[in-house]
Amino acid sequence: MSNSNRYVYGIVNTADTGNIEFETDAVAGADRVYTVTHRRLGAVVSNIDTTDPEETDEDAQRHDDVLREIMDYDGGKTIVPMQFGMAFENDRTLKNVLRGARPAFRRAMSDIEGRIELGLKLVTQEDGSVDRDEVEDAVSDELDPIAAQAVQNDRFSDRLVLNRSYLVDEDERESFDEAISRLEDRYGDELLVQYTGPFAPYSFVNVEIGAQSQ
Amino acid sequence: MFVLDDLLFRPLIGIVDTLHSLALQELYDVEALEDERKENRLLYELGERSEEEYLDRKETIEAELELAREVREQFASGRVEVKR
Repeated sequence: MSNSNRYVYGIVNTADTGNIEFETDAVAGADRVYTVTHRRLGAVVSNIDTTDPEETDEDAQRHDDVLREIMDYDGGKTIVPMQFGMAFENDRTLKNVLRGARPAFRRAMSDIEGRIELGLKLVTQEDGSVDRDEVEDAVSDELDPIAAQAVQNDRFSDRLVLNRSYLVDEDERESFDEAISRLEDRYGDELLVQYTGPFAPYSFVNVEIGAQSQ
Repeated sequence: MFVLDDLLFRPLIGIVDTLHSLALQELYDVEALEDERKENRLLYELGERSEEEYLDRKETIEAELELAREVREQFASGRVEVKR
């Protein structure tokens, strides 16, 4: 079994971050992440023995944790996050991808610089019901003016009244937290509230990578 | 009689085959199982399911998902035979 494949967490601008390297609990049992660079772009990677990693809950969590560590690394870094599962044959194929998608990565980096992603899920109590339209309107009224962008996510359960991700300027974080508290006060008896983050802004970058695993 | 039987029953058998195939596809619905997996995780994170309930359910769903993906692949390759 070879560990020459590279699992990618996200892309940084090494002119700002330098070469990132630290020990951590990484995906698929790896214990170190580091950067593979092409000019000023750096892919933050760990070694892996497959180009098709299985998405277990544990590894999805590790992927997320590594991204958060990078966001906090050396005073805080901007990273264009990759979805779970991006793995490449070797450094050469990865550098080719960095070269090909360089303009897209640079645009994405500028879009998310100084911003974080926060998630909100509202779930009915077991056997409970609620006026869904009224709740959605109230949430929009509270949060949309503060957030830079919002996206509606998959409603994978009938009990999900709302599942949204928000892109928020770090300076607006406190106002956003306060708005969430007001929503909790208003709906806490009828709904379960899951407020998550900060995450690297997965939901707000859309970089297409060709020939991902080869 | 053969001709009459053929005319009367062949369309019916075709409908039964189709319904059977649809029922199999619904039984092995990968997307529905993936949604169920996410719901299980969410209800655990919200404290509505205990860790034991979550892990039991997770194991069951993952086994069903594996089977559903295999069946879907076989459907896609035309290797599933509907037997009467």
